[in-house]
Amino acid sequence: MQPKIEDIFNMIRINNFKSCILLLAVVFTFSFQTSAQPDGAQIYKANCTACHMIGGGRLVGPDLQGITEKRTKDWLKKWINSSSELIASGDADAIAIFEEYNKSVMTDFYFSDEDMAALLVYLENPPVEEVQVASAAGATEHDKGMSGSTQMMIVALVLLTLVFILTSVKNSLKESLGQETETVPETLKNQTELFLANNINKLFVGLFIMIVVLKFAFDAMMGVGVTTNYQPVQPIAFSHKIHAGDNSIDCNYCHTSARTSKHSAIPSANICMNCHASIVSGTTTGTTEIQKIYDAIGYDPETRTYIEGYEQKPIEWVKIHNLPDLAYFNHSQHVTVGQLECQECHGAIEEMDVVKQESELTMGWCIECHRETEVKMEGNDYYTQMHEKMKEKYAGEKITVDKMGGLECGKCHY
Amino acid sequence: MTKAKKYWKGLAELNNDPLVDKLKQNEFVEEIPVDEFLGDKELPASSTSRRDFLKFLGFSTAAATLAACETPINKAIPYVIKPEEITPGVANYYATTMYDGHDYASVLVKTREGRPIKIDANKSATNARIQASVLSLYDSSRLKNPMKGGVDTDWSTADAEIIAKLNEIKENGGKIAILSSTILSPSTKQLIADFSAAYGNVSHIQMDAVSYSGMLDANEASFGVRVLPTYSFDKAEVIVSFGADFLGNWLSTDHAKQYVTARNPKNGKMAKHYQVESTLSLTGSNADDRVQIKPSEQAGLLSNLYSALNGGTADSRIAKMANDLANNAGKSIVVCNSNDAQVQTLVNAINNKLGNYENTMSLSNPSYLKQGNDAEVAALLEEMNAGKIAALITYNVNPSYTLQNAAAYNAGLAKVGLTISTSLYNDESAAKMMYACPDNHNLESWGDANPSNGVYTLMQPTISPLFKGRQFQESMMAWMGKSDYHTYLQNTYSSIDWNKSVHDGYFTQNQAASTVSSFAVAVPSFDLGKADGIEFEMTEKISMGDGSQSNNPWLQELPDPLSRACWDNYLTMSASTARDLGITNWNVSNGALNGNMVNITVNGTTYNNVPVMIQPGQAVGTVAMAVGYGRTAAGKCGDGIGFNAFTLGNGTATLEVVGGEYEFAATQLHHTMMGRDIVKETTLADFINDPYAGNHQVTYATHDGFKPASEVTLWDEFDHSTGHFWNMSIDLTSCIGCSACVISCHAENNVPVVGKEEVRKSRDMHWLRIDRYFSSDMTKELSAEEKISAITMYAEMEEPSGNPETVFQPVMCQHCNHAPCETVCPVAATSHGSEGQNHMAYNRCVGTRYCANNCPYKVRRFNWFQYSDNDKFDFNMNDDHGKMVLNPDVVVRSRGVIEKCSMCIQKIQEIKLDAKKAGTRVADADAQTACSSACPTNAIVFGDVNDDTHQVQAMKKDTRSYALLEHLNTDPSVFYQTKIRNKA
Repeated sequence: MQPKIEDIFNMIRINNFKSCILLLAVVFTFSFQTSAQPDGAQIYKANCTACHMIGGGRLVGPDLQGITEKRTKDWLKKWINSSSELIASGDADAIAIFEEYNKSVMTDFYFSDEDMAALLVYLENPPVEEVQVASAAGATEHDKGMSGSTQMMIVALVLLTLVFILTSVKNSLKESLGQETETVPETLKNQTELFLANNINKLFVGLFIMIVVLKFAFDAMMGVGVTTNYQPVQPIAFSHKIHAGDNSIDCNYCHTSARTSKHSAIPSANICMNCHASIVSGTTTGTTEIQKIYDAIGYDPETRTYIEGYEQKPIEWVKIHNLPDLAYFNHSQHVTVGQLECQECHGAIEEMDVVKQESELTMGWCIECHRETEVKMEGNDYYTQMHEKMKEKYAGEKITVDKMGGLECGKCHY
Repeated sequence: MTKAKKYWKGLAELNNDPLVDKLKQNEFVEEIPVDEFLGDKELPASSTSRRDFLKFLGFSTAAATLAACETPINKAIPYVIKPEEITPGVANYYATTMYDGHDYASVLVKTREGRPIKIDANKSATNARIQASVLSLYDSSRLKNPMKGGVDTDWSTADAEIIAKLNEIKENGGKIAILSSTILSPSTKQLIADFSAAYGNVSHIQMDAVSYSGMLDANEASFGVRVLPTYSFDKAEVIVSFGADFLGNWLSTDHAKQYVTARNPKNGKMAKHYQVESTLSLTGSNADDRVQIKPSEQAGLLSNLYSALNGGTADSRIAKMANDLANNAGKSIVVCNSNDAQVQTLVNAINNKLGNYENTMSLSNPSYLKQGNDAEVAALLEEMNAGKIAALITYNVNPSYTLQNAAAYNAGLAKVGLTISTSLYNDESAAKMMYACPDNHNLESWGDANPSNGVYTLMQPTISPLFKGRQFQESMMAWMGKSDYHTYLQNTYSSIDWNKSVHDGYFTQNQAASTVSSFAVAVPSFDLGKADGIEFEMTEKISMGDGSQSNNPWLQELPDPLSRACWDNYLTMSASTARDLGITNWNVSNGALNGNMVNITVNGTTYNNVPVMIQPGQAVGTVAMAVGYGRTAAGKCGDGIGFNAFTLGNGTATLEVVGGEYEFAATQLHHTMMGRDIVKETTLADFINDPYAGNHQVTYATHDGFKPASEVTLWDEFDHSTGHFWNMSIDLTSCIGCSACVISCHAENNVPVVGKEEVRKSRDMHWLRIDRYFSSDMTKELSAEEKISAITMYAEMEEPSGNPETVFQPVMCQHCNHAPCETVCPVAATSHGSEGQNHMAYNRCVGTRYCANNCPYKVRRFNWFQYSDNDKFDFNMNDDHGKMVLNPDVVVRSRGVIEKCSMCIQKIQEIKLDAKKAGTRVADADAQTACSSACPTNAIVFGDVNDDTHQVQAMKKDTRSYALLEHLNTDPSVFYQTKIRNKA
């Protein structure tokens, strides 16, 4: 079952608001959607979710369910722009909230008028459909058809049934002729002997068996070092499904270097703390797993403070995608220049509780993609001059990565 | 005339040694000893039968296969708190300053994940030693703790004891001496002044391992300022050097750039360069005209030159030079390496007479690179021995090694009450002192430098200190009860934009220079006499300098540009002197060089069994030896190599030939090019008449007439019309042989160090070598033309190695577009790239070495062993600290594969990716290989010939451009530019 966002929020227990000022770290969403109309949901998610919920109760700040009915839009604008100014101006409501939440100051957000309007519209209409979309996406997974072995078994059953029916028919015919009948195994045995009496048939059977054995042996050898579906147990039961799937956190928010570096590095613990300074308990594992981050970085969830002089212990994740040292791979080339989605190589990460290696990561796999993928040259001045000449050279053809030397040894092995 | 020249790499080749022919034919000099192995009589008696052998083989193969099936579990350990500026996989660059008391440069340091891995030039050019200093950072022989009496202690204990003792000395009015190298840092000088104020009787003495004191003293006497001039070789039209190796080791690293600027044949004129010297120096090897003298003749000749400029008669050897100088007054430079103030006064008089001051050289804009004072050092030694010094603090110096009278210093040291060394190492001097308070490496320190008037460069740490050292300035502050040198440094420059200056690595600021008075001293005069007997001269090698980095394996294995020997120092001697003494050098069966040995005595110091290297270009009757060797406390790499020439000093030598033979590791015959014509050269005059002079294309006779090789080819052409086409131009006129590129290549490409024994077996791994060819053009035709007497002609013909001309030719993989190596590889491990490079996939290579055998340029290297994590090769790759210098973008090659220059494909891929990400074309300035970026003279230019904004495109079309062995039509992506000499 797909947990709903409401359920997650209900399980998050926030006991203390004093560290609110620390929570200037806001969840940024890194997606590049640029639309002419400001997207209220986007703004809300980017700026508000660290401290507020809609219909989920108090978090760091109050529940925003029905907030537009409770306060005037004008008041909300002033508060969001700068709550401290509003408090200083002597507004009674503002002071009351300030007192209620232990005098923790809300971060100032100077939104443009359009953004503010969009946000308020969003707050008026709480996000119901979004959750449903997420559940629907998760549900499709189950109808993927049957596996190969099931199909084989069905075929075998059908064939056996056929043999049985044919034998029965033959027996009934023989019976009617008054001849001796055969049981099914006897028929099979006799037929096999008859079949193998012919040398050419023997040869074919022998060849068939040999081909099958060789095929299995070849596959086994080719599989050495290929670790598709490798799914090791990690030191922290981190779920990409909860983070990237349910909460739709952009991959680049944590894997910051994928766009700029050869490595899409595993996030450092301080990135986890951007959210987990306030989210101290998770949906499935409660506090046990999140506590491991605190143990690494030295954070006391009770007092919401970092422990002075704590000897930090790095988290030793198990590397899943292991390219051999002899191959050079650069994430930014593929993510930024090639504009590939993470999922194209890593699979539906946002649906994995425990991440596994989706692709083979073999040279054949790389090359196959380089042969098929068209180079995205539009709008990139680097390619401008090159593109014109290549269009002439490969008139009418797709300019794929291999046409630009993407299959050459030295491009990846040096 | 040019055609008649014979080029040779070594004397053996000149003398047509049959061995050289053998070496020419064989890429790998040693046969695999199959016959020897099969002929072993004891083999059948062995208890291991063939059957057993096969069993073991089968078992180990199966075991290895099974082991390989198990995938190891790799950990990925991120930072707990990631530093903001570090992105794993992306390099950061920091501008800083390198200064170790000998070499100075403003540099740009490349760091990866917080580790400095490469040094490049910033405000000033770099040399090989500056390039290699990044490895010295990771030297595990550095002191890891402060020490007292040779035992580790901690800073608080050491500080408390030192402060107590200093206070005691202060109360008793004792004298504290600080002995340091030249200090370029104004803030450090201020700090020393503060220290003097705090402790009263403090004297600060500066010394340079290779002293310039004579020159400084002469300038003080002549002009009233104890500074060195800055030179502008680019403005000179006549350059005369009396022994000063200004392109190699003499003063600034910026001279080389100026020199080639003044000698660009494109301009139709080149500065004329005369060198008058005894030992063939890097500078001498680049000279148009080289006069060989004995060191004792130098003063006399300078005196003669001065009188010639004043209307006297010039000595025949320098007549042309005197004439040229007189005609180029104000547009010439005369420099001299002498450390004698009188001789340098004479040089000042000559430059003054010529009006060169403030034209081609400037004292009003002085250089502060050397400030040592020999007289003060001598006085200190006397005081120490007289027991007048209560405390001695040394910084950046190693007097027990670099002083000629080190014995006197060591004796004096025993009489000093408190001795503190701040050396990075427990070196010869530190080991004799009470406290060792190790300084930090430059790359771990804050600092500043003021190399010349108004120019300031800053030093910033690029890595946290690796060991528990503490930079000298912090130590000094601690002993004054203060701390925080960083703030102190910032306060020194309160008026500048600090962040911008640290970012840039330098800033300029008006600086008051002392007033230069006009030249008004008596000009000393010397006789033109010549001393009898053999004279000894100390020299400095491009690789080792003053020996402070002698524990650096890259530098130890860097072949000397002239002798082509590494891992050694030796006595260089001319062929004729050697013949007189009955000394020879010869090649043994594997091509390695052996030589005779002598006992040498100079100034009362004797070294026994010193090997002799017969060096073309060494003046008859002189011998020379490089300083920087003979270290005893440098570390595992530098100890016990050669002899300490500092202790000998210049003077008359007594030689005694002794028995035995010495084994050199010289690369001069390695990878020989089968005697083909590969160097093209011409003279400036010919070049002006015919831009193609010396570079006429090879043609083949076909039924259609004569055609160039490229038109009679069997090869299919690669289509280079689209995309990049990376090419490299190497200008033989600009290449001075400084070898900075070789070290840069080492650092960038994780090239292993193999050690002396392996180098002797021609197994050096340098991807880039600088071939050095000598030539002599004495022919009968020439002698008739120039009316040279028959006696001289025959003497010169007989002894062409006497005063040869030199050509340096950097050779790396030529990246042939019709590559002979690619066609013979049975496994397609080496293949051609569409961008013009010849690729090498190491993991595909099975080690047949066919490619190396088929390469006409001999640029492929075979990994005979695993050079990393192997105790047999105990260099930086077998050391946890040393390995930190490895470039993470380049594979460390394993045993049994061929490797070679990749044209820094990792750098090309990176600049392409950066350009794609930025959405721009690759800029010419960004297209650099390790060698091109290190080249101080821009002799190596790299770029995309398909891009008209790249300089290299025009260079490929230049009339001087030629491909190496173009008659083979290998169509290389690397091309050379004909060497032009400025001579008639």
